[in-house]
Amino acid sequence: MSVERATFISQEMTAKVKKRNKLSQTIGYIFVWACAIMAIVTVFWIIGYVLSQGLQVIDYEFLFTRPAGGVSGDGGISTTIVSTVYLVVLTLAIATPLGVGAGIYLVEYAGDAVKESKLVAWMVQVARTGVEILAGVPSIVFGLFGFALFVLYMRLGFSLLSASLSGAALILPTIIRTSEEALLTVPRSYREGSLSLGATRWYTVFNVVLPSAMPGIVTGIILSVGRIIAETAIFWVTLGGSFYLPQSIMHSGRSLALHVYMLASETRAFDKAMGTAAILIVTIVVLNLAINLISRRLTAKFSGTR
Amino acid sequence: MTSNENLSIKKPLAVELFTKGLSVLIAGVGLAAILMAFYVLMAPLLPETFQHEILLQIGNLYYAAAFLIIGGLALITARGFWRYRNWARVLVLIGLLIFILYYFVTIVFAILTTIFAGLTVVPFAIILRVVGMGLLFFLINAGLPIVIMVLLVKVDQFFIESARQREFVEQTVRYVLLGSALSAVIIVILIFVFTFNEAWESITLVGLDTMLLGTIWRPGSIIGNENPQLGLVPMILGTILSTIGAVVIGVPLSVGTAVLLAEVAPPSVREIFRPAVELLAGIPSVVYGLFGMVVMAPLIRNIDVPRNTGFGLLNASIILAVMIIPTVTSIAEDAIRAVPREYKEGSLALGGTHWQTITRTILPAARSGILAAIILGIGRALGETMAMIMVIGNSIAVPRPLTDNPFTIILNTARTLTGNIAVEINYAAGPHRSALFFTGVLLFLMILIVNSVARLVMRSNKEA
Repeated sequence: MSVERATFISQEMTAKVKKRNKLSQTIGYIFVWACAIMAIVTVFWIIGYVLSQGLQVIDYEFLFTRPAGGVSGDGGISTTIVSTVYLVVLTLAIATPLGVGAGIYLVEYAGDAVKESKLVAWMVQVARTGVEILAGVPSIVFGLFGFALFVLYMRLGFSLLSASLSGAALILPTIIRTSEEALLTVPRSYREGSLSLGATRWYTVFNVVLPSAMPGIVTGIILSVGRIIAETAIFWVTLGGSFYLPQSIMHSGRSLALHVYMLASETRAFDKAMGTAAILIVTIVVLNLAINLISRRLTAKFSGTR
Repeated sequence: MTSNENLSIKKPLAVELFTKGLSVLIAGVGLAAILMAFYVLMAPLLPETFQHEILLQIGNLYYAAAFLIIGGLALITARGFWRYRNWARVLVLIGLLIFILYYFVTIVFAILTTIFAGLTVVPFAIILRVVGMGLLFFLINAGLPIVIMVLLVKVDQFFIESARQREFVEQTVRYVLLGSALSAVIIVILIFVFTFNEAWESITLVGLDTMLLGTIWRPGSIIGNENPQLGLVPMILGTILSTIGAVVIGVPLSVGTAVLLAEVAPPSVREIFRPAVELLAGIPSVVYGLFGMVVMAPLIRNIDVPRNTGFGLLNASIILAVMIIPTVTSIAEDAIRAVPREYKEGSLALGGTHWQTITRTILPAARSGILAAIILGIGRALGETMAMIMVIGNSIAVPRPLTDNPFTIILNTARTLTGNIAVEINYAAGPHRSALFFTGVLLFLMILIVNSVARLVMRSNKEA
């Protein structure tokens, strides 16, 4: 075989291979675009469907009257809105101090404490593992735990308090992680500046570090609000599901998400369930937008100072 | 600096008057509380005319002790406040805050009850009146405390703290923070202890083998039956099958999306797609369930197979797949982005196309991260509850194909472990309830194992 002939073949083959590669690349691109577009279409299909069906139901009366109860599914959702607000506020009141405190310890104190004694070092390790495990616990198990400990053992009954305590266990890892991350972004020089001026550790943390980390911590709290609003399984087991307005934290209530489930499973009022779900979705979208806004501001701020 | 030096700071007359006056007031409250304690203790001995309904209600030792403690604390605080001690100021602030919060919560409860509790819409005029009255009531009760609080915050420069007290505060804060850091692990232990404790009855009474290998779940048979039928095999199968379905549908979608977001798509597309996918994570599971009931079920019912209800494994798998998309996508995307630039550059420099680079270089390098993403997605799918109850049909039989075609098993109804708990816990009692708690323990352990595997895979990736 002559040299020219061989060159010709190899050129031809390269062209073929190139063509094939090009084709496979096109097919691959089409595949990933199809995947992503399917995912996006699903998002908009679900949200669009629920909103288009649900917004028809929502009016002044729907928002300001309580569910009538029974199997008809009549009435509005006023008490479930208020119950959800109570639940969110109470849960945050329990989980935020604990979670932010834990984040502060793990970021600001754990480093020194580990040097001090082996016991503390071990406890810090255990605490970190605990957060990791807790973050993976499925919500129905939180529900079982709340049912066994708060409802039965501590005799709090089906109440806002039992539900909030169980819900606080759910959002605790989220708050700990986000506040840890937020505290880690605060530059070292802030702490050193404050400490070198003679401020104590706690004064520094509370007056210098915490304010700088606040946007990140607020992001974590908004995230937790979303989780509490979306959570159903825990409250199905611990909140009781009364459609009256809770008069105190020892009373039973019904959150919006729980109301959706109860309407869908116990009545045939799918339209009202859609209306309630639409309100849930609007809330979640607004919360997500808020988180995006805050994190965008944060990146802008930090890239500005650098 | 010692406290004596600080005391000699000249204080304005107004501050002097405010502090002394307030400490007298606190002392008065303390004295009143102590008197009350004695009064409560003596209540049964008092003549009939002094007896009162409220007194009888609180006429016991606990209340007396509580009053004594409050009174003592108030007196000590008053003395510290008189001498400009900072700890006393902080205590007074906390007390006032509790007082104000109490009234605030009461008013909010009252206002919201009037507006939202009824079956009819409350007229706007009445809402206005209630809100106005509530505000007035709040101001009357909490107005003065609020003013005092503001003043207390303003005068903080005149209050002193010794080095020892400061050290004490430091140490206390440190231990309180350590306590909150341990709260997560304490909750994990409590979860384990309480669910296991409740599950113990079924383990001893029914037996592990019956529950793990039994194929019949008939909790009603417990009453007057020697052999309670509490086999969990149908639910275990339901959970596993629906999860496999979710992985089969959801993982290619998620990984494809992750590749697009990390490698292919221009930044502008990414700006829109990423938040949209993240939004999926926030949507409540009941909304997915509702969507499954109202939209997916009628669609699936169109498949022409006898006894196809539209509810069942297929519906559950589709809904679960959508629910794991955000988890898998975001973690897989991070893993793909974590692949060193040089790998990509090397492959491209050798003449590989972008797509060859992705499939032959980037994806193999990000393999363990993507695997971890999938495993975490499985963990999320295993734990999903409400959406599953709404779309899977909740039958307690072992899922079987509907016709001769084995694939029709996906159209059959089933029940997940999570659903088993949620459906029955509200009315279960005795061994039945205990068996449900055992279901929870099983689920907890399964997810613990799955998540640990994911973490191991991730860690091995980091070390490699």
